[in-house]
Amino acid sequence: MIIDVVGLSKTYRVPVKGEGLAGSVKSLFNRQYRDVEAVKNVSFQIERGERVGFLGPNGAGKTTTLKMLSGLLHPTAGTVLVAGYRPKDRVVAFLRSITLVMGQKQQLLWDLPPQESFALNRAMYGVDPAAYARTLDQLVAMLKIEPILQKPVRNLSLGERMKCELVAALLHQPQVLFLDEPTIGLDVEMQVQVRKFIHEYNTSTGATVILTSHYMQDIAALTPRLLVIDKGTLRYDGSLTALTERVAPERRIVVKGGPAELAELGFVPVDGDQVATVTAEETNRRLSSVLSRWPMVEIAVESPPLEEVMARYFHEGSA
Amino acid sequence: MPPAGGPEALSSGPGPRLPEVLSALARVALMNALQYRASFFVDFFVGSGNVVAILLPLAVVFGKTDSVAGWTWDQSLLVTGFFLMMSAVMGGLVEPNLGAVVEGIRQGQMDYILLKPVDAQLVASAQRVAPAKLWDGLSALVVIAWGLHGTGWPGFGPITAAFCLMIAGVMAMYSLWLLVICLSFWFVRVDNLRYLLGAVADAGRWPVDIYSGVARVFLTVVVPVALASSWPAMALLGRLDLALVVQAIAVSLGGFAFARWSWKRALASYTSASS
Repeated sequence: MIIDVVGLSKTYRVPVKGEGLAGSVKSLFNRQYRDVEAVKNVSFQIERGERVGFLGPNGAGKTTTLKMLSGLLHPTAGTVLVAGYRPKDRVVAFLRSITLVMGQKQQLLWDLPPQESFALNRAMYGVDPAAYARTLDQLVAMLKIEPILQKPVRNLSLGERMKCELVAALLHQPQVLFLDEPTIGLDVEMQVQVRKFIHEYNTSTGATVILTSHYMQDIAALTPRLLVIDKGTLRYDGSLTALTERVAPERRIVVKGGPAELAELGFVPVDGDQVATVTAEETNRRLSSVLSRWPMVEIAVESPPLEEVMARYFHEGSA
Repeated sequence: MPPAGGPEALSSGPGPRLPEVLSALARVALMNALQYRASFFVDFFVGSGNVVAILLPLAVVFGKTDSVAGWTWDQSLLVTGFFLMMSAVMGGLVEPNLGAVVEGIRQGQMDYILLKPVDAQLVASAQRVAPAKLWDGLSALVVIAWGLHGTGWPGFGPITAAFCLMIAGVMAMYSLWLLVICLSFWFVRVDNLRYLLGAVADAGRWPVDIYSGVARVFLTVVVPVALASSWPAMALLGRLDLALVVQAIAVSLGGFAFARWSWKRALASYTSASS
């Protein structure tokens, strides 16, 4: 086991301000505070080499959890062990075995070409020059960023920058990758490339990947295991398939450009197609009745999109 | 790619080496400073005038009188010289870095400093330089030599004492700065305190004896700028005994230890800007 989290909690003290100018003035002299429980009694274990997705609405506590796992924040209660270390102690061996990539923050030196940031990280992580050159070559080839290594970071596109952020974060060959929304703001093609890279990196190195994302495609493509955090508590820990089966077990049978007579079998027209929503058990029976009457139609069976599954799941929780 | 955590894994290796880290940081700091040509040359040009701006009021005062609070023109030049030296170190090496820490806490880059397996205080204190402050350092040497030309050159003992006091004084000022920066972990914005500190530190350009009792103690102990400017000058002039020198050094070491302890405490309550 590479990550062991037991009863993890984090409480922030935040100032409460009344409305408007009067509230601001009052808060200046008599500030009221409120405790916000960002993470409440969360426990889970992650095995070496796993790819795990953290999912939850904004403010659910995903990033706070990642920051506690990487040693940036000290937990209010509970214990965390990552690669055998207590993150908050920030010992050298621990920091060298993890990395954290934050899609909304950057570590690259803004005014200098990315290779200067890489060289600085090499020194700070104490990477042997030969190993550094080898790793850098491999990462540059995997991400195809050779042409941009000399350009100042401020002149790079968001996607190019994220690729360089990944290189900077991986030069020391960490065993655990914490990725906080690594694809945020990227165009679809760049998202696909980053996803592919993370997948390849995980399979070729066996490094453990813990990822948060708002893009369901990231989760669907990358992380077989899902931890759903909502209002600071861990609501689900298991596979994506099992969650979908539980929350949205129905299937959509879509007959492309199907005949209107399909209405007899419970189909309704949607954008020129005929669509029926059925239970998983019902699917085969319904399919064979369609195919026995219209053997030549083009037909597809879909699970509800992940966005819909999650929306329903969170709604279920708040209802 | 080789397997993570395999035989090549870094976490089992020797770890970062300090000289290598320092030279990498210095390299980046210099490259950053050289990145914007226009600003570099303007700063460098303006920086060369600082010594004139500091000497002018002194010359005006001594145009009217031969001695101020027991200090002659030549002796006051020594104070000015050490003040320039302190301002070179503080303005060139300390303030640009610690100022960036405040910004880093507000915007989140502090996260990445804390994630590195190198002492966070070291990285936070060594990422930037202001090369224009080199002028202050060079002119400090000239002004001190000019003063000594008038007062007569002291022996090895006073020079050593003055040198140690200067280091101690700069260390005390650095510690004070670090304490102010620590406050920003809780209060986030401490700009006003920084400006105030800068303004108070400016009082160090005058011999400390011109200030009244309370102010003198304040400038020696609370904002110990006199420790870095007047005290080394007094050491050169043979006005300090060894016990005082040792005490001053001990106090500044204590101040440094306290600032470092506070820094570690501040890191523990770091809340990290949310993304």
